[in-house]
Amino acid sequence: MHIKTEDKNGIIICYLEGELNLNTAPQLKKAFEKLISEKQKKIVINFTDLSYIDSSGLATLVEIFKKLRAYGGVMKLVNLSTKIKSLFEITKLEKLFEIIDNEEKAIASFA
Amino acid sequence: MEKTPVIEIKDLVKIFDGRRVLNGVNLTVYKGETFVLMGGSGCGKSTLLRHMIGSYKPDTGSVWLMGKNLTTLNEDQMDEVKKKFGMLFQSAALFDSMTVGENVALPLREHTKLDDSVINIVVKMKLELVGLRGFENLMPSQLSGGMKKRVGLARAIAMDPEIVFYDEPTAGLDPIVSGVIDKLISDLTKKLSITSVVVTHDMNSVFRIADRIAMLHQGKIVAEGTKQEIEKSNNGLVRQFVKGDADGPVTFFKDKGDYLKDLIG
Amino acid sequence: MKNPVAVIGSIVLGAGTTAVQILSLFIQTVYWTITGPFKRKFAKSESIFDQMVFTGVKSIVIVFFVAFFTGIVIAMQSAYQLSRLGATVYVAALVAVSVARELGPVLTALVIAGRIGAAITAEIGTMVVTEQVEALNTLALNPIRFLVVPRFLALLVMLPCLTVFSDIAGIFGGYLVGVFNLHINPSLYWSTTYRFLEAKDVLTGVYKSVVFGIIISMVGCYQGLNTKGGAEGVGKYTTVSVVASFILVIVADCIMTAIFYFSKM
Repeated sequence: MHIKTEDKNGIIICYLEGELNLNTAPQLKKAFEKLISEKQKKIVINFTDLSYIDSSGLATLVEIFKKLRAYGGVMKLVNLSTKIKSLFEITKLEKLFEIIDNEEKAIASFA
Repeated sequence: MEKTPVIEIKDLVKIFDGRRVLNGVNLTVYKGETFVLMGGSGCGKSTLLRHMIGSYKPDTGSVWLMGKNLTTLNEDQMDEVKKKFGMLFQSAALFDSMTVGENVALPLREHTKLDDSVINIVVKMKLELVGLRGFENLMPSQLSGGMKKRVGLARAIAMDPEIVFYDEPTAGLDPIVSGVIDKLISDLTKKLSITSVVVTHDMNSVFRIADRIAMLHQGKIVAEGTKQEIEKSNNGLVRQFVKGDADGPVTFFKDKGDYLKDLIG
Repeated sequence: MKNPVAVIGSIVLGAGTTAVQILSLFIQTVYWTITGPFKRKFAKSESIFDQMVFTGVKSIVIVFFVAFFTGIVIAMQSAYQLSRLGATVYVAALVAVSVARELGPVLTALVIAGRIGAAITAEIGTMVVTEQVEALNTLALNPIRFLVVPRFLALLVMLPCLTVFSDIAGIFGGYLVGVFNLHINPSLYWSTTYRFLEAKDVLTGVYKSVVFGIIISMVGCYQGLNTKGGAEGVGKYTTVSVVASFILVIVADCIMTAIFYFSKM
């Protein structure tokens, strides 16, 4: 999996590419530990190029969400494929995360 | 819909103590379906299941799982295949010395580099799927039979497997709990697009969950087809089995002469 | 009537096969003990620790009592003989050397075979008959690494420790008889003990206990892993495990004593 982060006017956009699975989930956690230590408050995770996510990936997102919330950070998920979105629904996580159609809307919602 | 085979069994023969327990079995299971293997006690269905999970090696023939020929794999390669399927045992086979949570977490702890905090979240998610969230700290001995099976199922799907095998999932459970387990099996198959292989002789269960059914008798597949095809089958063996008749092609009673001769010696 | 030669032949053959299988289990255990850390698949350190506590710490009381009373008995029996020669002061030497070389290691091994060897077989055997070992296998967790290695290491470390402890307890028992019954001056008793008890006496005892530890853990695990026949089978295999451990410990003791004797150790 490839993770790329970009700072757009104080909003961190995180692009995930490839598969978020048992082997790559620790990588995501590591990338976010840096953002969390910087106390970044506005984070958008872009799912456009993510082909697959499993429970360990979902659990890692929950863990990141927990840590962000502790200091008032907000994270939004954008561009989820229907397959990945349905996985959020099955695991009843769609109510926990703010899931938004696209990046622009997410950035606008922070304003 | 295109069908991709995930399990292929070719001309499988297994001999135990000179008895051909499996006598040339050919079988294909496709991705995303619930495949039920039914048959009477001692027909070889458990043996067949043990071949699919790599516990037994065939005497002749081959077993293919997700494109890999199990008969040719070494232990490390087999371990990689094992991480991609889960198995629910008849007795649930929970580890007595571990709590429910530790049981579900075990494969993740052993095979991944995930942090404990993430593993705990996965464990909660899996237990929620089987309706047992909040039971993490109980020991298996404190659970009922149906709950044990559900924990066993949570453990089987801990690593997000592609295939889940079920050995008599409803055996020894009351009808309501059986219904719950059946619903879980079909939910997981449909929602998580897991391929399910169920070995059972519980006919209620068979028609509730199956997409396709095969019947094994004396080490051979005697009938195979969709649920509808099996329901309407003219095969005497299948009809007897589905209806549960004592009389039919399978007989349990020896004829009288034999018995009387036996009495007088 | 069976041919007695054939009966003896089949018994020898059976024992030979078992011996080969136990040896192969031992080799695999050593393999997993050594390669475990490199494969990032080492047996969990906490389970080794648990086993050590169970094997070692919780056996201290019984080992103490057995060795302590044996020390008393040896002292009294030898005093009975030595008093005729007017050499009761040598009770100290006799107790110390016989406890360190022979009774300490052997009695401790027998106590542990009964206590821990039986527990190992019963525990692993129960896991086998309740499908837990098969579950480990399907989760790609090697039962030898997971179940055998921690028990093996625990016995390998704890049995020598317990043996040294039992040496001390036995000598202490002898000391009480020597001082309070035979009225040997306490400092004379100690100096006699020191004069006659050499480091090699204690060491040969420790060497023996290492071998006994291997025997007890391997026999216990082998019987456990091969248990068949449900709850009744667990009882049967546990009994066999203890009996076999007893016999093998005594035989190994005889062989090792002979080796030490002829090599003047």
